[in-house]
Amino acid sequence: MSLMVWIEKQRNLIDFVLSSLLRRKGKNFALIAAYILIVFVLASVMFLTHALKREASIVLRGAPEIIVQKMTAGRHDLIPKTYARQIEKIAGVSSAKTRLWGYYYDPLFKANYTLIVPELFKYEEGGIAVGEGVTRAGVTAEGNIMPFFSSDGKLMNYRIREVLPADSELVSSDLVVMSEADFRGLFGIPEGLVTDLAVSVGNPQEVLTIANKIKQQYPDTRPVIRDEIIRTYDAIFDWRSGILLVIFSGALLAFIIFSWDKASGLSAEERREIGILKATGWETSDVILMKFWEGLAISLTSFLVGLLLAYIHVFFTSATLFEPVLKGWAVLYPSFRIVPFISAYQIAVLFFLTVVPYTTATIIPSWSAATVDPDLVMRT
Amino acid sequence: MILHPAIIALLAGSALVAFMLLYSSWYGIEVIRKWDLRSGSELQLSLEKKTYLISTMMAYAMGFQLISLFLFVYTADSLCSLFTGAMCAAGTLNVNDFGYPVFLLKLVNFLFGGLWLVLNYTDNRAYDYPMIRKKYFFLIALMPLVLAEVFLQARYFFGLEAEIITSCCGSLFSSSDRSAAPGIFALPVRLSTGIFYGWHIFVLGLGVFFYKTGKGAYFFGIASLLLFFISGWALIQFISLYIYELPTHHCPFCMLKQEYGHVGYLYYISALAGCVAGTGVGMLQRFRHIASLEAVIPGIQKRLTIVSVTCYLFFMLAATYAMVFSGFRL
Amino acid sequence: MIVLDKIRKVFNQGMPNELVAVHGAALDLGSARFIVLKGPSGSGKTTLLSIVGCMTRPTSGRIILDSREISGLPERFLTKIRRETFGFIFQQFNLIRGVTALENVMVPAYPRGEKYSLLRDRAMALLELFNISRKAASRAEWLSGGEAQRVVIARALINNPSIIIADEPTAHLDTGLSHEFMEIMGRLHQEGKMIIIASHDPIVYESGLADMLVGMRDGRIESVRDLA
Ligand SMILES: Nc1ncnc2c1ncn2[C@@H]1O[C@H](COP(=O)(O)OP(=O)(O)OP(=O)(O)O)[C@@H](O)[C@H]1O
Ligand SMILES: [Mg+2]
Repeated sequence: MSLMVWIEKQRNLIDFVLSSLLRRKGKNFALIAAYILIVFVLASVMFLTHALKREASIVLRGAPEIIVQKMTAGRHDLIPKTYARQIEKIAGVSSAKTRLWGYYYDPLFKANYTLIVPELFKYEEGGIAVGEGVTRAGVTAEGNIMPFFSSDGKLMNYRIREVLPADSELVSSDLVVMSEADFRGLFGIPEGLVTDLAVSVGNPQEVLTIANKIKQQYPDTRPVIRDEIIRTYDAIFDWRSGILLVIFSGALLAFIIFSWDKASGLSAEERREIGILKATGWETSDVILMKFWEGLAISLTSFLVGLLLAYIHVFFTSATLFEPVLKGWAVLYPSFRIVPFISAYQIAVLFFLTVVPYTTATIIPSWSAATVDPDLVMRT
Repeated sequence: MILHPAIIALLAGSALVAFMLLYSSWYGIEVIRKWDLRSGSELQLSLEKKTYLISTMMAYAMGFQLISLFLFVYTADSLCSLFTGAMCAAGTLNVNDFGYPVFLLKLVNFLFGGLWLVLNYTDNRAYDYPMIRKKYFFLIALMPLVLAEVFLQARYFFGLEAEIITSCCGSLFSSSDRSAAPGIFALPVRLSTGIFYGWHIFVLGLGVFFYKTGKGAYFFGIASLLLFFISGWALIQFISLYIYELPTHHCPFCMLKQEYGHVGYLYYISALAGCVAGTGVGMLQRFRHIASLEAVIPGIQKRLTIVSVTCYLFFMLAATYAMVFSGFRL
Repeated sequence: MIVLDKIRKVFNQGMPNELVAVHGAALDLGSARFIVLKGPSGSGKTTLLSIVGCMTRPTSGRIILDSREISGLPERFLTKIRRETFGFIFQQFNLIRGVTALENVMVPAYPRGEKYSLLRDRAMALLELFNISRKAASRAEWLSGGEAQRVVIARALINNPSIIIADEPTAHLDTGLSHEFMEIMGRLHQEGKMIIIASHDPIVYESGLADMLVGMRDGRIESVRDLA
């Protein structure tokens, strides 16, 4: 068979398939709706976890190679500034910076803020810079006063000097930046102690060795390596989406059984139609080919629509539907916007999770439809 | 085990492929035992109908197999951040003893499956199914390989524990002694470049010769099978250097990454397709004397030759392009 | 030329409800003839027609079409022969519902991979031949009995077969339409096509068009009358 003939044949079959599908809109509607729903849910899970992973890794990319925390009785404790000077002397360490940061729960607006002290704060004491999320949660704006309760229960008022632009929202939206003196005052942290140390290392190959040296020198500390955090993040996100997948696999299975049933429960009308086709000159493999195109048309439509809906859901409405499951952050995040990202890999995985099972479920039914005896039509 | 969506997808996909093959083999046995084309009995009619089912299933299974090969490599690649020391798929596959065998089995199963489809296609062009028993024996023989793949893949994924320290392409695919396949680097690069081009041109020549005269099908088949291995070897030994523009990076997986424009897929697909089509020519030659196939096989062989020659030519041109336009010089 | 040699067709072989629908039928149907197959209900006419038309394979026996034995061929090849050699007209019109008359005529030719526009033109020409081109765009279920009948004939001719097989074609037609149908069959026969009709309608076997009358009873060929 020449190539042109082959192409014409496929075109004719596809034409016929599309018109048949349109003729049986009602029957196929439920199937396509279920299909779209499955693709939508799976794609949303994958888009969201992938986006969160990316977000986290972007955030962590700027983080120091090693963070040194002090441990007291197995708990994270404040670390003396003097440690930093000693650690800086270890060969291979390019710098060891002290950091002051923490969390604050705002009982007024029931929101969690992340408080940090930058190396250089450009506003004087009493002034703060806040992330967009904070202004949203506290219904406030630049220039306003923001009340905080200090560790000894005193009311502290700070003036918002700047609202930080949302860059990678995951970090900055709940951020409150303040001066060192204000921070110490708010939490009652004595001079000489800091939250942790950020150690940067010149040669990435030496990170592990240096972490070990720090541990030897200060057995009461815990050096946390950045790559380890990234790894944990990745594993947690993959694991979460995997768990969701397992939960949804019940739905997936139901969908597969449903498609099997749909495909094998050939209506009398369809049987007659295939009988006519075969009696008038179609061969079994022509009918199988037709069924292939039919499955492809259904799969492609549902897959693309489901994908599109998931894309809108995750990247334009911030995955409203399953925020509680995946993120579980504070109230600040409802309007958290994720940077759109989609890859061929995700599509391939989705394809494997939806189109492959669907297709497999329909092979046997389409085959048994295609092997209807052509002389059937002579007897009805 | 790591619960990653792609891992679930791969395990489920393999299970489906294995199911389809088991199902086909089951009826394959029935066909081998009871096939009698002369008879018009209901049993025979139903067996004939079953052959349509088996063909369809195998075609789908092969399609899935091809996608799963790439999905597998890609997944290994994307998981590398979980393992200390892994920078790409090479490291992830090395995390336990099952990674590389699964990868190789996937390649082998794809090649065999492709040959089966060629055989099946040819047999279906003849009015008396002359190779029906042979092709179902072939199918049944394929079964253990596919089951092994499914089993090892499961072992591989279940054995993946984050935090495992592995070694990656830097040491696995290097000219040092610790390399996974030191033999690959035994030959001087100049010589192997010569072999690579020489063998390519030899196969292309054989292909053209066969197309013109219909002679030398076996040679062409065997030579193009060998070319598959030579291409893979060349890819690791020196083509990779030009792709990465690094003097010591020989990894066959990094080139699938986005950083290198996914160019690896072109090499993989063209070598796989070239090998299946070329080897198919040699395989069909064995059946050329069958009366009902005499008129059919030469046409199929010619088309396969065109596919094979085109694919390998493409491989060679892609490699040449990489070598000429690379910023790297050996 | 079609020759049947000891054709047997058994349904439900080896089971308690085993039924032999055709018992060793042997018959030389010649070529380009007008054959009418008659016999009581259940005598095996439809079964024999579907065997002759390569729709069903006989349980045993041989069919020779144009000096080529086709009984042992697998379905793939039988279908090809059927498509190129036979045009079928069924008792029920068996048009596909929801599809236009024109497309119904075209459907049998789809797997052949003919260019859509050429195929369309041919189908249109056939509809014109039977004076129903104005109904080309009507859906099959809207056609009247007479119109449907003519669409069905056009469909049987789309692949340009040399043999037309019709099973009880007049069962659902009134007298007028039955006569019209037979007249069209006569015309096609004159154009050189072979016609095989199974029927127990007197309009068919007394039309004077048939040149061979085959009588069947209980799956056996009872009588063969050559009227030529
Ligand atoms: N698929 C089948 N399975 C079992 N029995 C069948 C089957 N098809 C036909 N038969 C039987 O074979 C016998 C012959 O049937 P056939 O349809 O050939 O008769 P007919 O001469 O065409 O009758 P009518 O004039 O009523 O159409 C009948 O007894 C019928 O019940
Ligand atoms: Mg009948």
